[in-house]
Amino acid sequence: MDMQALTVPARLDQLVEMRRYVQAVGKQAGLPEDATYKLALAVDELATNIVLHGYQEHGLSGDIILSAVTEDEAMSIIMEDRGAAFDPATRPMPSAEELNKPLEERRIGGLGIFLALNSVDDFSYQRLGEVNRNTLTMKRGKA
Amino acid sequence: MAFNTILEMDGSDAKITLSGELDASVAEQFKTTVEEAATHKPRNLVLFLNNLEFMASAGLRVLVFAKQKMGQEVSMYVVGAHGPVLNTLQVSGFHQAVHLQNSYP
Repeated sequence: MDMQALTVPARLDQLVEMRRYVQAVGKQAGLPEDATYKLALAVDELATNIVLHGYQEHGLSGDIILSAVTEDEAMSIIMEDRGAAFDPATRPMPSAEELNKPLEERRIGGLGIFLALNSVDDFSYQRLGEVNRNTLTMKRGKA
Repeated sequence: MAFNTILEMDGSDAKITLSGELDASVAEQFKTTVEEAATHKPRNLVLFLNNLEFMASAGLRVLVFAKQKMGQEVSMYVVGAHGPVLNTLQVSGFHQAVHLQNSYP
């Protein structure tokens, strides 16, 4: 059974609501705690990006809609927003060299999308008209 | 659990205890605490993460900020990170950049 979708205003103070939603659907799907945490982290990072760069940076406001799909092998969270078009997978990932640098030499940003995409088993992005759709998938029975 | 920070000066150590969930909506609170710690010119910045339940990249950014603000001569210790929070520090390479330990004397 798929859980009801969650619609929240695209604001940082709604991040906790989105994590609670992922925790609830992860629990319902029997996803291990570690995998649920990773999925919640991925949603949190992408949602932060959508709020700051998809909406606020462009002077826009709107919603983020989360829905969950549970299948035999996997469960997915689908995130939809109407902010500026952005495919997280096109963002260059930090290199091993960058990740090994001392903090004094590190860039302040750039880790959120890396953490998001690194946390899930599968990721896809679609632009459907005015909608960004990010699909984050975890295999079931796998941490 | 709501995010909270407690700053305590102990000689030349600035000790910050973090608890709850650290995401982008509360990272500024952590940053402000680091800035306050910096005004005391500590030799060591010691962060206790035992009760930190969640940490997003916004938390990592404050760690980078802290190091860049306080400079090379200040040693940074991250104490008691565990589970997925520890995993995030490791995946991001921060375990090599700070003193990661289970306890602090």
